[in-house]
Amino acid sequence: MIVFFQSLLSGVLIGGVYALIGIGLTIIFGVMRIINFAHGDIMMIGMYLTYNLFAMAGIDPFLSIAITIPIMFVFGALLQKLFINRVLNALPQNQILLTIGLGLIMSNTMMLIYTSDYKILSTSYSSSSVKLFGISISEPLAISFVITAAITALLYWFFLKTDTGQAIRATAQDREAAQLMGINVKRMSIIAFGLGAALAGTAGALISPTYYIFPQIGSIFTLKAFVITVLGGMGSILGATLGGVIIGVAESMGAVYISSGWKDVVVFVLFLLVLLFKPAGLLGKSRM
Amino acid sequence: MKDTSAKNVHGKAGFKSAEPIVTLLVLAGLALFPTLVSSPYSLHLMILLFLSIIMGQSWNIVGGYAGQYSVGHAAYFGAGAYTTMLLMQQWKIAPWYGVWAGMAVAVVVALVVGSICFRLRGPYFVLASIAVAEILRLSTMNLKDLTNGAEGILATEIPPLTIAGKVITDFSTKVPFYYIGLGLVVLTIVVTFLVQHSKLGYYFQAIREDQDAAHSLGINLTFHKNIALIVSALLTSLAGSFYAIYIGFIDPPTVLGLDISVQIVLICIIGGIGTIYGPVVGSLVLVPLSEALRSNIIAEAIFATGAVSPTSGVGVFLKENLAHAHALIYGVLVVVVILFMPDGVLGFVRKLTTKRKGERS
Repeated sequence: MIVFFQSLLSGVLIGGVYALIGIGLTIIFGVMRIINFAHGDIMMIGMYLTYNLFAMAGIDPFLSIAITIPIMFVFGALLQKLFINRVLNALPQNQILLTIGLGLIMSNTMMLIYTSDYKILSTSYSSSSVKLFGISISEPLAISFVITAAITALLYWFFLKTDTGQAIRATAQDREAAQLMGINVKRMSIIAFGLGAALAGTAGALISPTYYIFPQIGSIFTLKAFVITVLGGMGSILGATLGGVIIGVAESMGAVYISSGWKDVVVFVLFLLVLLFKPAGLLGKSRM
Repeated sequence: MKDTSAKNVHGKAGFKSAEPIVTLLVLAGLALFPTLVSSPYSLHLMILLFLSIIMGQSWNIVGGYAGQYSVGHAAYFGAGAYTTMLLMQQWKIAPWYGVWAGMAVAVVVALVVGSICFRLRGPYFVLASIAVAEILRLSTMNLKDLTNGAEGILATEIPPLTIAGKVITDFSTKVPFYYIGLGLVVLTIVVTFLVQHSKLGYYFQAIREDQDAAHSLGINLTFHKNIALIVSALLTSLAGSFYAIYIGFIDPPTVLGLDISVQIVLICIIGGIGTIYGPVVGSLVLVPLSEALRSNIIAEAIFATGAVSPTSGVGVFLKENLAHAHALIYGVLVVVVILFMPDGVLGFVRKLTTKRKGERS
């Protein structure tokens, strides 16, 4: 029983970070109707940024998100302005291919700079854990979960209460109607992509103390992000939060009860089942 | 799927009369190539080019003609590669029998993919096709007893090809691979030509242009999409088997990875999808470029300009790393093509030539 709760808890903790990646992807999809295949690669850049801040300036990875977030926001906004804005009316497959191309450029550029060696960011608390009712909790995972929860709460406040947040939601609901209401949809798209990239970058920063850092890590997380958003319902922020936690738990349960090699298979099978039987996702409206 | 109707028109009446002669000349030149050039490296380059054309041409049938953007073609490539290799290494079955088994496995995979993924459209179809290929890759990694897992399979010895007791070739040089590759290229181009000019091909294109309209005209969507996928899977599986026997080593990331799926799509996108020569043009652009990066010709060229000295820090760095980043060129090319030539290089060239003709008349 203790094993069950142990894997449930660590699943929820890592699921929090997954939710962050998923929310980023779902915001971009909601506003632009573009599936960002470079999402994991953007996260990878966040990881390297954190690694360098730690290795060169000794900044703690959890504190460095104060620097990572604005940099990644600008990076995402530039991607939107320079590339994505040009294909908003193109065929969906061309949009997908453009983001695949951008992802390839990111991962290969990082490989040119840092080679494909695995980098490890080890802090003093990287492998330490705290015990709670006999369940041991990894300290970096616990900290990252608290930060994730705070960021998610902040996001909800932003989307529900601020003018910009409401304008972004309006754009997601109906681009043309939003434009007629005087919303600058191009600008909202840039903000949305910036937000998505900032969230992916933050997720990268948060997992950097517990994961290996290497240029090709992106595609694994891109796929995970899709699974999370489709599971929760494309375009739904609440759905992505829920999807992240479900995938985190499914992974850690699969690793414990089946084997760690098969845990990703569990995730993909779950994904196909959702696509087959509830393609709109758990909390999404059908967009098929 | 909506606004392609005006694009992808195969009108080029001016070339039509010269086309058969040119094709025959090119084929004759290619058939004589190994007798004129004996350097193994140029043969290797040509074989890579053939392999790329076969892969692109196979995808083109389901992606280009039927408009179903599968980004999971590694599943069929890997099915062919793994079946042929396993039969050869574990049960000593010669590859020219194994190839057929590989094709059978690929059809089974295609039927599974088709039954799951063809209920979905657009981005959802893309995601589902990736998921199936990933499940196959992860399973191959984990079924260590059967597939040797992440260590991969090394071909220790290829049995010689004999017909009626007479040894045709023992595969000791690259020449037999060259001719097999050339044969497969011709086969895939002929299949594509037949598809394009048959009723089946028109059904495929109708589905690509507007699914719902095609459906309302009585075209069975699921059936025809599955046919396109099966033809494509058969040819992709052949490419996989050919790759496995030629290179002599396979492991899950190289034959079942997402990279190979993306690469297959890019060959067509860069050349121009839904055209017979698109994959050929795409391969002619991609293979030399990525080989140039891989073999450090680009780094040497940078040194030759004198901008960077080979002994300086940057020079050493470029020499060591540029070779590993050959996939960078794929990324840059695809971004350029999507933004500036949405119909591929071939479509772009055609647009330029028709424009010039228009100006002249």
